[in-house]
Amino acid sequence: MAAMQRVVAAAQSSVSTSGGGGGGGATSYASSKGVAASCASGAATELVVISDQFPVGLRVLVVDDDVTCLRILEQMLRRCRYQVTTCSQATVALNLLRERKGCFDVVLSDVHMPDMDGFKLLELVGLEMDLPVIMMSADGRTSAVMRGIRHGACDYLIKPIREEELKNIWQHVVRKKWNENKEVEHSGSVEENDRHKRGNDDSEYASSANEGSDGILKAQKKRSNVKDEDDGELENDDPSTSKKPRVVWSVELHQQFVSAVNQLGLDKAVPKRILELMNVPGLTRENVASHLQKFRLYLKRLSGVAQQQSGVSNSICGPVDPNVKLGSLGRFDIQALAASGQIPPQTLAALHAELLGRPTANLIPGMDQPTLLQASVQGPKRIPIEHGVAFGQPLVKCPSNVSKHFPQSMISSVEDVSSGFGVWPSNNLNTVVPSSNLSGLSTQNSNMLMDILQQQQRQQQQSQQQSMPPEPSRTINVQPSCLVVPSQSASFQAGNSPASVSQNCSFNRNSVIDYSLLSSQSNNSLVNIGHFSNGDLKTTGALSGYSGPGPISPSVSSCSGNADSSMGRQVQSSTITFGNARQPGFVHNMHDIQGSYGSKTGEVLDQGPLQNLGFVGKGTCIPSRFAVDEFESPMSNMNHGKLFMENNGIRVKQEPSVGFMDNAKVGIPILQQFSSNDIMSVFTE
Amino acid sequence: MLGLGVDRLRADMNRLLALLFHQGVLDEQFLQLQQLQDESSPNFVSEVVNIYFHESEKLLRNLRGLLMDKEFSDYKKIGIHLNQFMGSSSSIGAKRVRNVCVAFRAASEQNNRAGCLRALELLEHEYCYLKNKLHELFHIEQQRVLAAGVRYPMQH
Repeated sequence: MAAMQRVVAAAQSSVSTSGGGGGGGATSYASSKGVAASCASGAATELVVISDQFPVGLRVLVVDDDVTCLRILEQMLRRCRYQVTTCSQATVALNLLRERKGCFDVVLSDVHMPDMDGFKLLELVGLEMDLPVIMMSADGRTSAVMRGIRHGACDYLIKPIREEELKNIWQHVVRKKWNENKEVEHSGSVEENDRHKRGNDDSEYASSANEGSDGILKAQKKRSNVKDEDDGELENDDPSTSKKPRVVWSVELHQQFVSAVNQLGLDKAVPKRILELMNVPGLTRENVASHLQKFRLYLKRLSGVAQQQSGVSNSICGPVDPNVKLGSLGRFDIQALAASGQIPPQTLAALHAELLGRPTANLIPGMDQPTLLQASVQGPKRIPIEHGVAFGQPLVKCPSNVSKHFPQSMISSVEDVSSGFGVWPSNNLNTVVPSSNLSGLSTQNSNMLMDILQQQQRQQQQSQQQSMPPEPSRTINVQPSCLVVPSQSASFQAGNSPASVSQNCSFNRNSVIDYSLLSSQSNNSLVNIGHFSNGDLKTTGALSGYSGPGPISPSVSSCSGNADSSMGRQVQSSTITFGNARQPGFVHNMHDIQGSYGSKTGEVLDQGPLQNLGFVGKGTCIPSRFAVDEFESPMSNMNHGKLFMENNGIRVKQEPSVGFMDNAKVGIPILQQFSSNDIMSVFTE
Repeated sequence: MLGLGVDRLRADMNRLLALLFHQGVLDEQFLQLQQLQDESSPNFVSEVVNIYFHESEKLLRNLRGLLMDKEFSDYKKIGIHLNQFMGSSSSIGAKRVRNVCVAFRAASEQNNRAGCLRALELLEHEYCYLKNKLHELFHIEQQRVLAAGVRYPMQH
């Protein structure tokens, strides 16, 4: 990029006399952009002249074991006035590239080389330095070229290579820079907003940061352990793989991407392998590589933010700011979840889409709105969680049967996910059912649940694993994520899905806060939700994803739990519908759970609604109990929540809050009852 | 006189090139090669072609060695060699050699040993023919340069 830098330097000097010729630490990217911009504006005529000779001095590394070709290429490139470095061994070339990072703008590589396959080199280069790599081969057969494309070569030249072709290779350099530029701009703008919001929050909440970070650390550890286990399910998750000629990172695609990354482990995820796992025709390694890069940056950014924000959990008070934080937290969690693989990929995708400022097909046009909604929603939901903590332990204790099972699951899950996993399956249907219920309870109770745990749960999709996490602080993180997921998915779906879905959306967003809405809607929504469930199964991947998170999250997370509870409490029939909605999700995500639901739920997949109804009938008790639990939290939410909720605030009225209050008071007793009677009944079922 | 010699040598070169083009031994890529020759690398064409000869002979030896092996089964390796041969041949514009390589590769992909052996024979033949003709060409070229070189001081 020397040439570009030179150009940039020149541009800078002309615009502002700061430029130290060519030595510019300024990224070539920025520089190129700057030039382009200035050219476009026509501000500096000098620049045009300079940019006219731009490709001159382009630093090209040519790798070919065929010295004949090497010599010819060298001469041709020299004639183009490029700065040529030749290398007849791929390994040497790689070392060269590593030693002199940033010293080359583009790599021309032969495909067949004895010491290292050209594609391997391509992969490494793409991964380590993200340079444009042009493959060359005498083999011009479609399959060979296809292979090059798939591996992410930005071009594939068939030997004999002509000088005219080489003259043009600079375009790949520029194109790549431009693309990166666009991406940076998009994400950058979003990030800026976030940063801005976060900045406000951070100072306030910094005190509580320790706990959160702790949780995060553990969560990360956990994540690494968990990664392996979720692979299979995740891969099964996405039946709706649609290929698109131009690579738009659709929800489905991103889902596949995420599941592939999860399968490989974030650290070991390599574009090539991801590509193989994804197995999407038309997708190139380069696409994956750039997406992976973005994904990593994104995770990094989020995790950095999350640590600061984790503190939020302690201080509920901040009226508006908390929401923002919560939102960000939620994102972080999502990311973490995604990383660990538990995430409902669609949700992630939706989130990413928002974050990156790239509208996903399904996303609602207004990008800001969803985010705001999400943030607002999360805030309130989250609050409940904290309150829930207080209640948590009692609740845990209450269910006798459940408690027995729980300890095991909890311990096992904490220690090792797999073991926990094993435990659950072994348990009977009874245990399983409770687990889901418990999970709901536990989540709310235990706001304490760690991210990890939840993640694990999600991953394993045994919501049951909800090992009551010993660490309270983590809960905070986890729940937000849960919350986020639903809200996001809701918004996401809204774009796509039928009216019924939209209702769901409203439900999700408002869910915790607007009990009144829920209640009112619940009647209406019963039908809708039912539809929704159906829709999930068949219509859209996104929907299914939603259902996934919804179902899981209820059990796992407080927010979803709230939704459930509200549904359950207000209308039992609604519970039923909810059940429907849920079950698809279960089916998708929780294979094990299905087993646990066993006779009732398991078949739901195929027969769906009908089966669900049966399940619901029995399950109803549970949800309603849940409702009680959650109400406790809601009431707390209501208090603070009103402040927070921008959108929902209006909706949130005292009716719900009052109801919650009552419930809250009653809460524990009910739970106990629940544990003794209902749970037993459920279990026995 | 000497100037005439230069012109005659140039005409000989062109005739020979035309013949090679006509026979399909060379294609326009060879002209590209000639155009790449400039004052910074005055012997570029012969330099490249000599590299090519060197590499090609290595490849031919390897190919023959592979195919002569009684327990030979590594058609993939043959394919790789041929790929390189194809790449370099096409890069210097050795069209017929390249075409034989394509046929050779097709035979190797079908694990057709007899076809491979036949193709190898043909390849060696084509290669020798190309080598002879190019040597002839370079020889004329050399003479021409010499003649031009002789004439150069005479003008002063």
